[in-house]
Amino acid sequence: MEIWRLPISASQRGKLISAGYTSLSSLSSLSPSELARELKVSETEAMDILKAASHSRGAETSNASCSILEGAQSAWDMLHDEESLMHITTSSADLDNILGGGIHCKEVTEIGGVPGIGKTQLGMQIAVNVQIPHDFGGLGGKAIYIDTEGSFMVGRAFQIAEACIEDMSEYNRFLRKDFQECKINMKPEDILENVFYFRICSYTEQIALINYLDKFISEHKDVKVVVVDSVTFHFRQDFDDMALRTRVLSGMALKLMNLTKKFSLAVVLLNQATIKHTEAPFN
Amino acid sequence: MMPQSLLQLASQKCTTGCPILDRLLGGGIPCDSVTEIVAESGSGKTQICLQLSLHAQLPVSRGGLAASSLYLHTEFPFPFRRLHQLCLSFRSSNARHFPINDNPCDRIFVQSVHSADHLLEIMSKTEPFIENSITQVPVRLIVIDSIAAVFRSEFDNTPVELKRRSSLFFKISSKLKALAKRFNLAVLVTNQVVDLMGPNEGINGLRIGNLGCLYTSGRRVSPALGLAWANCVNSRLFLSRNEEVIGEENEKSNGDFVFKKTRRKLYVVYAPHLPDSSCEFEITREGLFGVER
Repeated sequence: MEIWRLPISASQRGKLISAGYTSLSSLSSLSPSELARELKVSETEAMDILKAASHSRGAETSNASCSILEGAQSAWDMLHDEESLMHITTSSADLDNILGGGIHCKEVTEIGGVPGIGKTQLGMQIAVNVQIPHDFGGLGGKAIYIDTEGSFMVGRAFQIAEACIEDMSEYNRFLRKDFQECKINMKPEDILENVFYFRICSYTEQIALINYLDKFISEHKDVKVVVVDSVTFHFRQDFDDMALRTRVLSGMALKLMNLTKKFSLAVVLLNQATIKHTEAPFN
Repeated sequence: MMPQSLLQLASQKCTTGCPILDRLLGGGIPCDSVTEIVAESGSGKTQICLQLSLHAQLPVSRGGLAASSLYLHTEFPFPFRRLHQLCLSFRSSNARHFPINDNPCDRIFVQSVHSADHLLEIMSKTEPFIENSITQVPVRLIVIDSIAAVFRSEFDNTPVELKRRSSLFFKISSKLKALAKRFNLAVLVTNQVVDLMGPNEGINGLRIGNLGCLYTSGRRVSPALGLAWANCVNSRLFLSRNEEVIGEENEKSNGDFVFKKTRRKLYVVYAPHLPDSSCEFEITREGLFGVER
């Protein structure tokens, strides 16, 4: 229940909002003297406000997250949500540490680098690792791999899938104490089948595909990561109108961010590196 | 828009004609991908290109593509005599597939390229050309020897010109990759090297790929056309050559004669499907072959 529905005077309401109390739960742990100090009102007034608040809260079910604006969340709720989200491991403990556990869902992660540094390898690894089942600490989801450069090699992805399965068997052997036959039922072919691979050859195709992703993911709700390799290759050609390029790129980025929030998945963008030309003094 | 099934994605490769090199390259030069060979002059780039154009004609069971090739050359003259020499030994070792009056050289289409714009023009004409060839022996290999020569003379060293040059790289690479995908072609491009002065690693202190530094003939070099072009190719191979002294003749003439041998090595600088590896090779009358040491 929102603050504005409380049976208090308008000036009191105004003071509450400007002091930052926008939801009933924020008032729950305050004492009257604290509230009086914050709002610069008398203690009796503060006590009245708190009484009104606890009344309305009592009448409400505990599930409703009360807020002054529809859809707003308290930071506490957001922290709780974030902590309960799964991460996609990159198979490197150090890298996972830097990323805070792995690739985060509901976020767009950009990985940039020079050619030959391992961007495509990382992209392929993530597309395989997202499929690790829940039992092994993974997301058990599927992957979409958008290849704009033609660097995806099926043979290499097969090797990575094989290694992932071997890893899981090792984990099984170490952790499971029972003597049952702990066989992993997954095969490398199954892993490759769960990667939806799109190959695009121009920037118009790229834009069309990103627009189409919303519909595609609604039909395949178990997709948990979208890897784009690499997102800027087709935009580095001569664009007569650079403003158009900026608009298109920002539109694409916005769509991808909306996708992450809507479907609770991760987006990984692989980007190239370029040399910055600066005017160097001749000394 | 439908996703492709990965299990059905053809990952064909074209054999180089030598089992040792094929093993290093994971089967040969991959299709639907642009492979670049970087080396200084006289290292064997053109040899590999010619050899591949011949071996692409082998049937798929022998590792070839059963295809003809399009050879775009920018350095004149085209080595017809060497091609003919290679062709003779190729035919004799593969006599089964080439009857008497069948000349493999007939299936190598040669075109000279003068400038970057000319190259773009040729690319737009290539699509109908390849389509027409599908009924006879389809073109499945495109060789550009060398891409560096096309760009090195036309552009001044100002930021504006370099930017224009960079966008041309991406345009050409984009067209090549689109062709490669559409017709499942293997594309082989050769590049030259430039001497490296300055900081220890790579271009402007940037390390690209597996090797911290590329050395050939005792000099530190770096592939031409810079970082922008490096982003346009899928795989990069480096050929190095070094003169090694293996003996001295020390008779009455105060050691005037030294015996030198050219040692040649092929390195994988970066490739999405290959680990960091290298092998030695030699160039003989019959072609370019790896050696086990």
